[in-house]
Amino acid sequence: MKIFNSIKWRLQLWYGLILVCVLAGFGVTAYQLERNRQFRRVDDEIHRRIGMLGQALHGPPHGPPHGPQQNHPPDDFRPPPEFPDDGMPGDDRQPPRFTLPPQVAALFGTDVPNQFFFAIRNRDNNEFAHSDNAPQNDDVFFTNAPANGPDNLKKSPQLLRVGDESFFAESLPSGEKIIVGASVAPELYDLKITALKLAGFGGVVLVLGLVGGWWFVGRALRPITEISSTAAKISAGDLSQRINSEEAESELGRLAAVLNSTFARLETAFAQQKQFASDAAHELRTPVSVILTQTQSALSRERDGASYRQTVEACQRAAQRMRKLIESLLELARFDAGQEVLKRMDFDYSKIISDSVEMVQTMADEKQVKIFSGLEPLRITGDPERLTQVITNLLTNAIQYNKPEGEVRIALKYENSLAVLKISDTGKGIALEDLPRVFERFYRADKSRTGAGNSGLGLSICKAIVEAHGGTIEAAGGNESGAIFTVRLPAGF
Amino acid sequence: MRILIVEDEPDLLSSLAQALREEGYAVDTADNGDDGLFNAEGTDYDAIVLDVMLPGMDGWEILKRLRKTKKTPVLMLTARDQTRDRVRGLDTGADDYVVKPFDLEEIFARLRAIIRRSANKTTNLIEIGEVTIDTAARIVSFKDKPVELTAREYSLVEFMALHHGEVVTRTQLYEHLFDENDSTMSNLLDVHVSNVRKKLGAEFIVTRRGHGYCIG
Repeated sequence: MKIFNSIKWRLQLWYGLILVCVLAGFGVTAYQLERNRQFRRVDDEIHRRIGMLGQALHGPPHGPPHGPQQNHPPDDFRPPPEFPDDGMPGDDRQPPRFTLPPQVAALFGTDVPNQFFFAIRNRDNNEFAHSDNAPQNDDVFFTNAPANGPDNLKKSPQLLRVGDESFFAESLPSGEKIIVGASVAPELYDLKITALKLAGFGGVVLVLGLVGGWWFVGRALRPITEISSTAAKISAGDLSQRINSEEAESELGRLAAVLNSTFARLETAFAQQKQFASDAAHELRTPVSVILTQTQSALSRERDGASYRQTVEACQRAAQRMRKLIESLLELARFDAGQEVLKRMDFDYSKIISDSVEMVQTMADEKQVKIFSGLEPLRITGDPERLTQVITNLLTNAIQYNKPEGEVRIALKYENSLAVLKISDTGKGIALEDLPRVFERFYRADKSRTGAGNSGLGLSICKAIVEAHGGTIEAAGGNESGAIFTVRLPAGF
Repeated sequence: MRILIVEDEPDLLSSLAQALREEGYAVDTADNGDDGLFNAEGTDYDAIVLDVMLPGMDGWEILKRLRKTKKTPVLMLTARDQTRDRVRGLDTGADDYVVKPFDLEEIFARLRAIIRRSANKTTNLIEIGEVTIDTAARIVSFKDKPVELTAREYSLVEFMALHHGEVVTRTQLYEHLFDENDSTMSNLLDVHVSNVRKKLGAEFIVTRRGHGYCIG
């Protein structure tokens, strides 16, 4: 069932059910209260009339027993009320043998609200008196009346309800039975209207609740729809997609923001990876071109030995260049993956710097570049081989990009618990717009290949090594003023 | 046919130049952008092979400046194969585009194609009277029989055929048949012309005295 798998539908069903229960409970209670109120009013009226009838017969009800007096009107008996239909010959009922005081009689009849009626029977269960609107067949009322007896006396008057009519029956101690009844048709009608109103109200509230809930749930879940459609597009390969969420403050809005920043980082990482792969492929294209053209040209016809030798040498140079590139790429990949394990040993930093200077001295002599060094004796903790690699790389650059008969200056100082190494040259320097990018992979300030020795990865590797030591490396030096590279490494004392 | 190659990788430059010379082209070389532009502007090459990444001025810049004065067909060499690079190259005025690494055969074919297009020819076959020149196979036939020509002679015939109906000056012929390494002895051209006349009929190349040569 797809519907039951949808959060929206499940929520809707759940609170729909709760709403129906609450509304039904409320409606039934309200109806009951109203019904009780209505009937109690009628009952009170009936009760009052019974009391008055009893008084008219024998004085106050439940008074001290008077003994049998059934055929004798009470002392304060007054002339009988005018019963318009009464006394007609042929009436199968016995004519009343007593008359009611007019103010009591006025309480009964068809023109009184609820059409109150009464009927009185003597102890032999014979008709004694009744109002003219009393039902013809009133046995049903009398059979429901309590039997005469001491137990029943306590309970009387007893409320009974038959059909549309509500009545009280009271058995007097003297043996007469009085019933007073009323039509509750108006009350029942009112109650029907009330029930309809309650049902209508409940229906409207239910519809409003469901529609409002549907809208609200839809609105609350909209970011989820948005998130899933965006995630689908991203998984299809379009990494530039972002979740468009207006509700930044809600829980889902925050989720969307977190996902968006994740997507952004994913895209950046992906773009970098792509750029890196494309750069690496680009770097490999030129040496492969050399090998292809050299071999194709050599094989196109018979050559002499010297010419084959030239071809093989060119191919070897190309292969060396590719090997260097591949080694550098793998080295960087190991740093990226955090797989490069650095040694941690205490060593003489100033000594490995002067050793590095010795290593590049031949190259400097060839270019007639002079190296000046001012080194404070300093010991640090780290991987001496890796740091030697950094220093020789920086020195090689400083010599390579220097002017003939230029200078390279090396200074090592201790500053704020850092070992600060500065290597400066007197070359053309690095253009200001290139400065922030010199450590980027394959970035070359002069935008061209500068022979097989330069893979464009040297400074990236230096940066990776220095950062793995918890240090920093930066480049400075504007146009024509020579480049300055500064390496800062933590030096604990 | 005279071609300029501008490429900074020395091994690539030397092998390309050698291979093109062996194909019968006269080849000049430059290993940086500034020399490349200087040569390209100073000589009427039949085609230029231009690398994009160069020290000094890069390939784009050379192309942009060259297009202000010359329509020389340019074949760009590049290590970038992204569409936007290709679009940029062609939009800047390059006639064709080859991505490294490439096969020599492809370079040859593309060079023939851009040279042919610049001469408004659509096929490799040029027919002039009873002479047929297949520029792809580098074979010249006279009366349906293949004729043995030296590389230089073939270049002379091909160049004249591509400029069919025009008067070609001796200077033009010198420029297009000999590169900067050749010693340009002035009678060398006359020797080639007379050899071609022997092989393809005396009427094939007509001398316009005071102007130059003409075929057809």
